[in-house]
Amino acid sequence: MTSMTREAPAGLWPALQSRFGHAAPLLLLSLLLAVLTLAAGGRAARAELGPALVTPGEMQSGALLFRANEKGRYVEAPRLGTDVDLTVSGPTARAHVTQVFQNPTDQWVEAVYVYPLPEDGAVDTLKMVVGDRVITGDIAAREEARRTYEAAKLAGQTAGLVEEERPNLFTTSVANVGPGETVLIQIEYQETVRQSGDRFSLRVPLVVAPRYSPAPVTQSVDFKPGQGGWGQANTDPVPDRDRITPPVLDPRDNAPVNPVTLTVKLQAGFPLGEVVSANHAVAIETQGPDSRVVTMKGPVPANRDFELSWTAAAGAAPSVGLFRERVAGEDYLLAFVTPPALKQAEDKRPRDVVFVIDNSGSMGGASMDQAKASLLYALGRLSPADRFNVVRFDDTLDVLFPDVVPADAEHVGRAKSFVSALEASGGTEMVPAMQAALTDHGTEGAPRLRQVVFLTDGAIGNEQQLFDTIAGMRGRSRVFMVGIGSAPNSFLMSRAAELGRGTFTQIGAPGQVQERMRTLFEKLESPVVTNLSASFSAGAADATPETLPDLYRGEPVVLAAKLAALSGTIEVKGMIGDRPWIVSLPVAQAAKGEGLSKLWARRRIADTEVAQTLGQIGPEQADQRILSLALQHHLVTRLTSLVAVDKTPRRPDGAVLSRNDIPLNLPAGWDFDKVFGARPKPEFRQAGLLLPAAARADTPAASKPVPVEDVVLPQTATDAELRIIAGLLLLLAGLTVFACGRRSTGGRA
Amino acid sequence: MSATLPLSHPLAGQRPPRGQRLPRQRRPKIRVLALLLVLAGLVLAGQGVWIHAKAMLAQVLLDRAFAETLATGRSVKPWPWADTWPVARIDLPRLGESAIALAGASGQALAFGPGHVQDTPEAGDPGTAVYAAHRDTHFRVLRDVKPGDEIEVTRRDGRRVSFRVTGTRVATWDVSGIDPRAPGRNLVLATCWPFDATTRGPYRYLVEAEEIRQPGPVVADASMAP
Repeated sequence: MTSMTREAPAGLWPALQSRFGHAAPLLLLSLLLAVLTLAAGGRAARAELGPALVTPGEMQSGALLFRANEKGRYVEAPRLGTDVDLTVSGPTARAHVTQVFQNPTDQWVEAVYVYPLPEDGAVDTLKMVVGDRVITGDIAAREEARRTYEAAKLAGQTAGLVEEERPNLFTTSVANVGPGETVLIQIEYQETVRQSGDRFSLRVPLVVAPRYSPAPVTQSVDFKPGQGGWGQANTDPVPDRDRITPPVLDPRDNAPVNPVTLTVKLQAGFPLGEVVSANHAVAIETQGPDSRVVTMKGPVPANRDFELSWTAAAGAAPSVGLFRERVAGEDYLLAFVTPPALKQAEDKRPRDVVFVIDNSGSMGGASMDQAKASLLYALGRLSPADRFNVVRFDDTLDVLFPDVVPADAEHVGRAKSFVSALEASGGTEMVPAMQAALTDHGTEGAPRLRQVVFLTDGAIGNEQQLFDTIAGMRGRSRVFMVGIGSAPNSFLMSRAAELGRGTFTQIGAPGQVQERMRTLFEKLESPVVTNLSASFSAGAADATPETLPDLYRGEPVVLAAKLAALSGTIEVKGMIGDRPWIVSLPVAQAAKGEGLSKLWARRRIADTEVAQTLGQIGPEQADQRILSLALQHHLVTRLTSLVAVDKTPRRPDGAVLSRNDIPLNLPAGWDFDKVFGARPKPEFRQAGLLLPAAARADTPAASKPVPVEDVVLPQTATDAELRIIAGLLLLLAGLTVFACGRRSTGGRA
Repeated sequence: MSATLPLSHPLAGQRPPRGQRLPRQRRPKIRVLALLLVLAGLVLAGQGVWIHAKAMLAQVLLDRAFAETLATGRSVKPWPWADTWPVARIDLPRLGESAIALAGASGQALAFGPGHVQDTPEAGDPGTAVYAAHRDTHFRVLRDVKPGDEIEVTRRDGRRVSFRVTGTRVATWDVSGIDPRAPGRNLVLATCWPFDATTRGPYRYLVEAEEIRQPGPVVADASMAP
């Protein structure tokens, strides 16, 4: 039915003959090798033929195409730009986050963007700009806000919705963004500046790391009345896994998306010393002794967290801060007190330290190196009187020694080689690891400090299970969380450290390992300020935290309170080592601060969540308390959302609205394959673009209003000709070489 | 041609005289290279030829199996270990070509004959029946099919259905624009395109045809009129 080698070699023959004529078999050979490579790559060539060599992503300048409802058709994702504008005034920061949603398609779309915010940020304002109209969002119970949004979506009105998925993870949905249109969403939040030692810092998370969400294995059983003993087993550990797993782009195939610009207006309230951005290049402009404007050099892709830290000029470091705000007839107060660093006898109590290292897939790349370096450093710091153990986990778990062992050279050596050999892969089953670390075999002889040092990126979705574990098993152990990588889940870290009565240390870059781990070890080794309490001389005050946590070296007491009267003093008492410490703050002399009421409410809400985790209050009581605080202070929480609706309907009846999730960048230093397994085949994505536009319009399916399920046609080409051509050429080459070899010997004879 | 020529690159310039001894030293190696090349070439070409031979041989066996199917009304496997069976014969009377089509259009089935694409109706049933085959074997003939040509399909139940080609077009494999539930009784023959390409590609060449209405049913309709 077919003849071999018909047209295809037509162009090859003259070329071959001419080269043959010049007797250059080597050249011929290289040509043949090229043909062979082509034959071997036949399969690959299928995906890369002609214009398909470029992926759609490349063709559309960094945009992503999504598979549409109709088979083989694609829509371009909405584009997004983010601008963060932060103003630091003394102890607090106010952030304006503006998200620009741009719809490049010719359809009406709903854009959904999952993004991180600081875990202690109080989100209180939503503004939506559609055309020249500005619509301000209202706070409402989550379900109610959702209903309002859905109703507006159906009615063809443009609407924005801001929901909290986790205290540090939010979702913005924008419905009815018109073809080619741009909608601005601005949210505002308030947060407290973090202080540790003489360093003040601020963290702006810019990317959500993909989280490991364990499969539902632990189940609870629901019996409903009237079901006669038959019930359903449920409780997925991550009931909202769909909501917190947005699409993530493989950085090798896609240019980074979601560019971010960021500016910080820093008004420290004291003369500034050093101002440093840990992860991004910045331009710093001095505007006065205590004021700077920091601009991120960018725009940069949203793939690592922004961290700014500053210190006071020499000798100007404040040890006390007191700020007040009056909102709706009530006074709020925020106090910082840094305990004096007393020279004192070191605590000689020997320690039992359990190190836990996360070697799951999400740690792959730079994170794993940092974690190993940190742990190796920590092992080197152990003194012979200490005892220790090492636990490593992914979705499996290894405990190095059966119980804690003395930190002698032999054991430390074994631990070091164990740690050095770790490689990142697999899932993140953090709960069993925490259980193993907290399992306390008791102590003989002298009382020992028991400390758990937990190194992870916290990329899990079942945070609550981990909190429950710590709350239930902590006993005398203290949990020190070490956050690794460019975008750790800081909500998990700080809440786990709080529940474990330890601290949270952040290591974001390899260069920070030494310094941060040293600081952590100073904390581990230094005596803590204990038995802290605060009392208000002017009567009742609603203070948070209710019971002040123990402090480690360099940490300040941070106290937020709602006061009945702005008078009297606050007396903070505690023990530094075995010496009593008292400091008295005159309330009336507090300076004016901003957004303190929101911060107080946010902390109160966090306290309520902790209290519920610890079983001090029931879930209903907790929900009720959170709801009333959130509604009163206009805050987004897990129970409340901000919703804005443009009352004018805009999308015409009958126009279809399609939903698009905005893809996220992989955090810098992460390894795509380690997190998502084998690389997805790109083939299915590109085919939609191959068809010339005219041909697409001509197809009967395209002209029909109803989406049609196209027949998918099989591959109907064989590589028979390719094999025959390549085979014959090889044969020819072989014969030529043979002939030439013969002739040359013949010539000599 | 000088003796050193086979080993010298044209651009390498003149070799020093002692290079003249090289051919003799290298001769066994050249032999081995030549032998390897010849062997590889034979294997590769053989594989290519085998693809065509398989396609032709299979049709002979399929022809027998289909004849038995028509006679007995049962599906008959062309050879004992086959995972497919003949479902129809497609004839192109003007070009004098015919092929036995198989159930399913898996790569294995397509090596032996045109495949009846799953989830499409049988030719002659309402909707669009789709048969696909390789462009370099059974459906190479599609390049010569012209609008107006007749296509005859003999189904395994013995019914013969005639189609007239309405047109040809090119589409991608996943956006074929073929609606298996389209009104009428239609037939699409599909193969890879372009015909002369040596590598695989995303494009498919489609021959579209619709049933030629037999006079029979019209008479039946008339009888129902008052």
